[in-house]
Amino acid sequence: MLKNQLITPEGTKDYLFEEAAVREEAETLLHTLFKARGFSEVITPGLEFLDVFSVKGHSIPIEYMYKLSDYKGRLMVLRPDSTMPIARLCATRLRAEQMPLRLFYNQTVYSQNRTLSGRSDEVKQAGVELLGAAGLRADLEMTSLAAQALQRCRQKNFRIEIGHIGIFNALVSSLGLDDAVREQLRLYIEAKNYPAVNDLLDTFGGHEAKVLKRLPRLFGGDGVFPEAEMLLKGTDAEEPLSYLRTLYLKLNEAGLGSCVTVDLGIVNRTDYYTGIVFKGYIEGHGEEVLFGGRYDRLIGRYGEETPAIGFAVNVDAVARALLRNEGAPSRMPQTLVFAETGCEIAALHELDRMIIQGTTAEFATMETLEDALHYARAKGIDTIAYVTVNGVFLRSAKEGF
Amino acid sequence: MRPIRIALTKGRLEKSTIALFKKMGLDCTELENKGRRLILPIPGTPFEVVLAKAADVITYIEHGVCDVGVVGKDTIMEYGGSFFEIADLGIGRCRFALACKKGEDFYSGYAEKTIATKYPNVSRQFFEKKGMDVRIVKIEGSVELAPLLGLSDAIVDIVETGTTLRENGLAVIEDVAQVTARVIVNTVSMKLSKVEIEKLIADLERVLP
Repeated sequence: MLKNQLITPEGTKDYLFEEAAVREEAETLLHTLFKARGFSEVITPGLEFLDVFSVKGHSIPIEYMYKLSDYKGRLMVLRPDSTMPIARLCATRLRAEQMPLRLFYNQTVYSQNRTLSGRSDEVKQAGVELLGAAGLRADLEMTSLAAQALQRCRQKNFRIEIGHIGIFNALVSSLGLDDAVREQLRLYIEAKNYPAVNDLLDTFGGHEAKVLKRLPRLFGGDGVFPEAEMLLKGTDAEEPLSYLRTLYLKLNEAGLGSCVTVDLGIVNRTDYYTGIVFKGYIEGHGEEVLFGGRYDRLIGRYGEETPAIGFAVNVDAVARALLRNEGAPSRMPQTLVFAETGCEIAALHELDRMIIQGTTAEFATMETLEDALHYARAKGIDTIAYVTVNGVFLRSAKEGF
Repeated sequence: MRPIRIALTKGRLEKSTIALFKKMGLDCTELENKGRRLILPIPGTPFEVVLAKAADVITYIEHGVCDVGVVGKDTIMEYGGSFFEIADLGIGRCRFALACKKGEDFYSGYAEKTIATKYPNVSRQFFEKKGMDVRIVKIEGSVELAPLLGLSDAIVDIVETGTTLRENGLAVIEDVAQVTARVIVNTVSMKLSKVEIEKLIADLERVLP
């Protein structure tokens, strides 16, 4: 036997029974919602050329992608993200479509994680993209849809957190930092490394540096805005902040006040996102389960510039939460249908009849009634239907005949 | 909801953190009479304490099974990860240093140098910044042995007082980084338990030496 014949690669796993069932449940809940809200499904290839994910200013670091080569030696990757292929689609096959365009997907993304980190290299993501629409209405639609997505997945204590990438960008550009220092500052703010942010900015005078020091601490509910408004007054970040506040108030008006918070220190992928950014959290999962934002410059890298906003949900994480909160759904059929010799076809008809009536039923492949009863008891099937020339007899499998 | 879990780095850092907890007025009787238990309650608070090895503190925080952690900057530099690093406690102060046999000129010549270390990532980053190719050998125990036995030209290691180096005929060539204990927080916990965690950190910072 070969060494790796019996195992799956690190970061992957087999999904058995209830794990598969809850994942399908989460997928169904999400795509039912997305479809009802006018989004249409697209499926992009699992294998793409590396070039799709290496566009200037938006590229995915090469070390995180699974790479292969085609017969011409061209580099290919296992899909690491679904938004970039959709941007490619938007700039090519969809360029003549009536905008705005609402698309959704439900597919696996692959990433190479640090070995022994316990992370999955294969994650099912369900997501939506609203292409060709800019402005408050589009942002409102998508952020409220994000909240609804987690609600629909029966997550009780969830949180949607919104931020605006323009705040950091406006403040930092006034400092005139070189790219390396700017990136260092961004990383410190992203990590809420308060002491390091302070140290780095201590060498700069001016109001903007003072505000940047406070930026990672400005997160939470209503209370964030008064301080932020005072701090950002007169800076270029005033406008994105007031936009964020308007969005926040609208979401409150939509009754989402208890589950929406803000974080002015969200500065992930500042070269990718161009406006609103948001994340979703649920209890019991150590990372965000939903993330998204506005990315108005991405599609322009493939063709005509088109404003866009979207988000993705980590279906695996949501499914695990469903399993944790609600327990495993039953996977046993309610009835086992056993045929007396010669009555096999009648039994198959009986099975169909039961299924139409909404019972789950399984056809017994055993030769004797005794074996069938034994099997039903061992597996925990409640009822046995005994199909004979004299008719169908239903009994509890425990009692038997 | 489960209690907010604070992961402490076992050993010296554990002791100095518990001393801070006491100054904050927390009930540390369980912590001081822990026996062999690894999860300990702090009565009258929403917190419980988990004792773990330094690198594991990071792992537990990253995965969100612990919420707040106290761990040395050395471990953070070596293992990295995504979490919030929100406070510098200033305790457990030491430094990363590059050291070689006393009197040797480490940077001389063009021959490739070999570095022995418990911290391969910290070492690699240090020399990458210098644009210098080195061979890095991971050592698990007393790194000072490696240059003495002729395995490496130098070591990158944690230096507190420098006594071990001196007694083995080694000397610091250059500091690599300063190290202190940090408070790290899981990115989701920080948002879902903002009030409790911010209060804990503020209280901690108030009693810092």
